Amino acid sequence: MTQKTIESPIMTLHSLSRPLASLALLACAGVAMVGPAHAASFTGSATTPDGKPAFGAMVTVFNEAGNRRETVYAAADGSYTIRTPFEGKLNVRVRMANFDDNRVTVQSAMNQLNRVDISLKRFASESASSDALAASAHNAKLPWKSLDDRAPFISQCNYCHQMGNATTRIPRSHENWIQTINKMEGMLAMLTAGEVKTIAGVLTKGFDGQPVKATHNYGPSAELSRAKVEEWLVGDALSFIHDLDVAEDQKLYGTDEGHDLIWVLDRQTGKIDKYPLPKINLPRGGKFSGMNLPIGIFTGNHGPHSMAQTKDGRIWITNALSSTIMSFDPVTKVFKTYPVGNDALYPHTIRVDKDDIVWFTIVASNQIGRFDPKTEKMTVTGLPSNGFFRWVSDMLFPTLLHISSWFPEKTLLLDFSHHKFLGYNVLAFPYGIDVNPVDGSIWYAKLYANKIGRIDPATMAITEFDTPMKGPRRPRFDAKGVLWIPSFDEGGLMRFDTASKAFESWKIPGLADKEYEVPYALNVDRASGDVWVTANNTDRVLRFSQATKTFQSYPSPTRVTVLRDMSFTKDGRVCSSSSNLPAYAIEDRVPSFICIDPQGADKDRAALGATKPAS
Amino acid sequence: MTLTNRPSLARLFAALLLLSSLFMALLGMSASAYFVPAACLLLQAVLVWRGKGLTLFKRIIELNQITGIVLILVLWLGDALHLPKLDISGAMLLGNLLTGGPLMSVLAVPILGALLFGKGLPRWFAANAPSRSGEA
Repeated sequence: MTQKTIESPIMTLHSLSRPLASLALLACAGVAMVGPAHAASFTGSATTPDGKPAFGAMVTVFNEAGNRRETVYAAADGSYTIRTPFEGKLNVRVRMANFDDNRVTVQSAMNQLNRVDISLKRFASESASSDALAASAHNAKLPWKSLDDRAPFISQCNYCHQMGNATTRIPRSHENWIQTINKMEGMLAMLTAGEVKTIAGVLTKGFDGQPVKATHNYGPSAELSRAKVEEWLVGDALSFIHDLDVAEDQKLYGTDEGHDLIWVLDRQTGKIDKYPLPKINLPRGGKFSGMNLPIGIFTGNHGPHSMAQTKDGRIWITNALSSTIMSFDPVTKVFKTYPVGNDALYPHTIRVDKDDIVWFTIVASNQIGRFDPKTEKMTVTGLPSNGFFRWVSDMLFPTLLHISSWFPEKTLLLDFSHHKFLGYNVLAFPYGIDVNPVDGSIWYAKLYANKIGRIDPATMAITEFDTPMKGPRRPRFDAKGVLWIPSFDEGGLMRFDTASKAFESWKIPGLADKEYEVPYALNVDRASGDVWVTANNTDRVLRFSQATKTFQSYPSPTRVTVLRDMSFTKDGRVCSSSSNLPAYAIEDRVPSFICIDPQGADKDRAALGATKPAS
Repeated sequence: MTLTNRPSLARLFAALLLLSSLFMALLGMSASAYFVPAACLLLQAVLVWRGKGLTLFKRIIELNQITGIVLILVLWLGDALHLPKLDISGAMLLGNLLTGGPLMSVLAVPILGALLFGKGLPRWFAANAPSRSGEA
């Protein structure tokens, strides 16, 4: 069918010079039905306020309920095409760094291709411009006297949430910052008393409420304009969905660490289900009841954290707060709980090896767990302590936390723990873990000890290696047995060749001069070898090409994007959970599942018969 | 018997206990629980300096040793013996801190040695003990 039905006059929005007219015309201006499609679809151009192509601009279509959206990036000529499953009264938004958003509302039915030419706006004020900047611009102005002073701030204040977004850059008095940081210590931020004072002082001076000026460069490219982003809002403002995993059924599973829930999204239907974990005889906060976990967010006692699936279909979950692991059958929806024992504290990242053995790190007690689902045998192995003070921690930390639990929510741990005068380095913190696909060995990263380690699964022999960059967080293997490791503390990417035992590392480029990055997790596309890295300070995802040794940036359509584990779908998407704590600090005020299809826009263009963008 | 000159061991132990107390107090500036062993160490320093309260002095040291040893044993063997490990280790850790903490545990070895096998320190305490009713 080639007939074009024009329902409204074609008008480019950037041609609207009279602001008063714009609101009235937004719903119809620039919108034309130009042909049929498989869903409500849009094509057109995105331009800057002076009419130039807005290369890399994000054109986002929201569904009528406002709980789903899809985004493509404009090509070098400003053109874009997007096909959505939505219908009804849909919002279309254009967003790009250094410009203000613009939106139109379009009434669209299924099988309708709408033309929307849309122009970015200039900011009305300096503060509006400042407010649109990613957190990295705001925390870059913090007046640290030295990088040593900044190190504990990056390590301890940036992993649950951004520092510098609208909720964390509110001007506060020094005393108020001290109270705020003390509250964070109640959630296991490990700072010395001196560091608390230093950080409070810097935040008092740096977050002064004055607008920040920065020009952010997300690096638009032809590759970017081939991609498409899908987002589904999940949970509520107090949900804390930690990790996401893609199961064999291609549904997205999310662990709500605060509410003891598993969220399940069927991407085909958009249906979201939630499954509560079975109760356990522990107080709120589980083994961490002595800490001060925020009421409302942490309502449970299991703290489901990370997931991996065995061949029998069961999904294995680490329960960080109850020190258990749990299986979840996606078919029967039945959970089964297995205590880890051995004074384990905070079972963290979980993976499954080729023999369906479940391996997981236990961060706060410096251990590795091994669980055989067939025999249901649990084995917990202590890792090397890496020094006297970490040995003291390994010996006494479970006891200190237990004493703290005698006085719920009083954070007695902070009165006893030697981290208060020695710092977070008193813990080794085995964090991420993965299985080498070449030889089946188990590898982990010690976040605070700055080491990676190898476990021989047959002998349980352990070998450790110092990392060249600090803060190795959640590593993953590529198909060739090379371990890729994000350096959270130094904003880098490390490569470790397990055959030659050689490291190579790259600094992740910031969005502007003097800005830093905090890569939390990564995953490697085993087909292409591309390394996908979360970039939680800058509202973007990075894709590192092993061939060109360059980073491709995918700006997030949503402000305050803090992503955790990344997982791939069979149809080529890389997915994660938007997991800023608290969720109400995210632009949507709720968490989301987010998937990037690197060829998604290309697929949409092909489906709609549109021309590919010029590279 | 009276002993007017303070023996060198009493001076030494008082100094070490005082230094330990100051160190613990310094840690207490960051983690307030360490003020507890600091106070206990200071008390011990005063007792040995003045040669008074031998019974209290000894009981504190003995309790410190017992809690420390039980703590180590429980952490080491608690799982194998199927004990309520963390409850016991928690109580022992609190008891150990209340009786001077790890520095007291270290100093306790030479102090107990001096009390049990030496002469100077027992004499010093005995010389400064209050006279009992009926004694000459």
